[in-house]
Amino acid sequence: MRAVELVDVRKYYMLGDTRVDALRGVSLAIEKGEFVAIAGPSGSGKSTILNMIGCIDNPSDGKVLIDGTEVEHLNDTELTRYRRVKIGFIFQSFNLIPVLNVFENIEFPLLLRRNLSRKEREKTVMRFVEEVQLSDRLKNKPNELSGGQRQRVAIARALVTNPLIILADEPTANLDSATGHKIIELMKSINEVQKTTLIFSTHDAHIMEHARRVVNLHDGLFTSDEPRG
Amino acid sequence: MITVKIALRSLARRKSRMILIALLVAFGTFLLVYGTTLTRSAGIASRSSIIHNFTGDFIVYAAKSREIPSPFAFNTPLPVVPNLDRLKAFLLAQPEVDTIVPYAQNYSLLSLDLKGSKVDVPFIFYAVPPAEYAKTFANVKMVEGDFLSSGPGILISQYQNDHYEKRYGVRLKVGQDVTVLGLSSGGGVNAYPTKLRGIFKPLYYENVFNYINFMDMASYSQVYNFTGVAAGSLPAALEKGLAAAQQSEDSIFALAGPAGAPIDTSKLKSESISGYTMVAVVLKDHHTSDVVRARLAAQGLEVKTSPWDEASGFFARVAAALEAFIWFATGLIFLVVAFIFMNTLIISIIERTAEIGTMRALGGEKSFIRRIFLAETLILNLAACLVGMAVGLVLVLGTRRSGLPLPDTISQYLVGGGPLPMVLSPWPFVTALVVVAAVSFIATILPIRLATRITPLAAMNDR
Repeated sequence: MRAVELVDVRKYYMLGDTRVDALRGVSLAIEKGEFVAIAGPSGSGKSTILNMIGCIDNPSDGKVLIDGTEVEHLNDTELTRYRRVKIGFIFQSFNLIPVLNVFENIEFPLLLRRNLSRKEREKTVMRFVEEVQLSDRLKNKPNELSGGQRQRVAIARALVTNPLIILADEPTANLDSATGHKIIELMKSINEVQKTTLIFSTHDAHIMEHARRVVNLHDGLFTSDEPRG
Repeated sequence: MITVKIALRSLARRKSRMILIALLVAFGTFLLVYGTTLTRSAGIASRSSIIHNFTGDFIVYAAKSREIPSPFAFNTPLPVVPNLDRLKAFLLAQPEVDTIVPYAQNYSLLSLDLKGSKVDVPFIFYAVPPAEYAKTFANVKMVEGDFLSSGPGILISQYQNDHYEKRYGVRLKVGQDVTVLGLSSGGGVNAYPTKLRGIFKPLYYENVFNYINFMDMASYSQVYNFTGVAAGSLPAALEKGLAAAQQSEDSIFALAGPAGAPIDTSKLKSESISGYTMVAVVLKDHHTSDVVRARLAAQGLEVKTSPWDEASGFFARVAAALEAFIWFATGLIFLVVAFIFMNTLIISIIERTAEIGTMRALGGEKSFIRRIFLAETLILNLAACLVGMAVGLVLVLGTRRSGLPLPDTISQYLVGGGPLPMVLSPWPFVTALVVVAAVSFIATILPIRLATRITPLAAMNDR
């Protein structure tokens, strides 16, 4: 079962009169439950691919299928609802909502879904709070947490709705290497336990070693696609 | 609830800016509530004071008058009200009419003794039927003497008497003989000896009525020889010619033509022409004014009517002018508030681009973002509005019983003098609420449009 399928996806931007080709015809298939790293130097197109998979950007050409659905035909509201159900995000800069505390940040996607009672929400949130070991930080605001703690909140927030895919754009870039490794290990164990499809971008060779599949990208084209042990 | 939670905490994060805006909104609301209560109260007080003391609900005057008569203005003497007996009978037969008072305005000279020599001093007055007038319009306080109940004569204001002393060196005493010199339009002078019956102080609009005195109507008729020929008994052509002469001086020559045919004096009927130039009509319910006026207009009595506010001219419009000023000032404040608030929101949206983008990426629809910013605006502005209303309410309640003390000059123009009785009404509060809600809504249109245009990509691009 394919979680993601990119078919000859191209993306270009106009910078003034100059056309910048971010993706120059990439095709990729990711099965459900995979743990994939999209690796490459800065400007290679990693984030652009994640944006396409995350339904927050459209390709200039080609097809993007998420869970078998061609997403470029969906309008803004449909895309938003699709993201809400299918995709979880982990951002490089954590992107927690500054006015909400740890519990509320994790609860936020559940509130947008509006399909759980307060008790059910609380139970679900607490399960993931324990998973990321932040039970003692529930009432803290993001600015009262360390970088690693913030990213763990972001991971719990991405997981809480049990999405099909979790996208992590350079999730360790703003962390020291020890914390970065811990975060990747946490993501890996979640992938193993919950079978959530996890796709992350990185340019850090040490981090990409944790992935079970590494897709290398250079100048908007895939240069290699290596399965790892 | 999450939108309200985010809105409240976002406001708290930007405390200093939001407090400034809240203070402006609260001040604008207070100004609106207290200002409109004040002007409404002034309007009610002014209306009541003018209607119940000077003009009644409307004034009836001669149709041929070129000017609208006013108890507050003394221009050229007005034409006498024709068909007075029929007019009175008609008005008193109307169920809506409470009472009527005829009166006249004029000016003459008083000839006074000054240590053996004569001095003539100006004398502006209302000629009134004393009992009827005093019963209807309690607008003076007698300092000495009586309101012409002891006999025919004149009354002067205390201020006028002081002024005579200061300017001419004479001070009148109650009971003193005086001679009224009536000036006829032909240049003649009619001297009428009478008595000073009293000295009074006006209770309202002192800035006008300190200069106005009283004379009883019987004396007035003697001074000006008001005897005449009943309208309708003159030959029709002559009446027409006379009417035309009132409109244009050139038309007077037409009377020398066919209109000037010999008059058969045996057919003329005499009429007691009182000399009244206005009739104030007080109604039981002022809302019926237009109906009664329309009915009167259909009677063909050669009279016109002027509602109280038209007849009282400038004074009736002071409260309205003040209200316009308060609305202008409030409008200006709210314009500034809307502008500052809009800018603050835009800055806040720019600062929160990543936050909004994140919410959008996590599945927040545009309507969710819209609700957050609307909630922020409404919470802040309605809270500030309530504070402004509360302050306004406390001040209105505080001055309701005793009335709002005003500087005498302002009070004289606004309500005719004395403290302003404040009238508590829900309308200024409802108006303030509507205005604040409207301003809040208008001020958020552009910022919300900007906020909802932020795409989830903004979250990804926040590095």
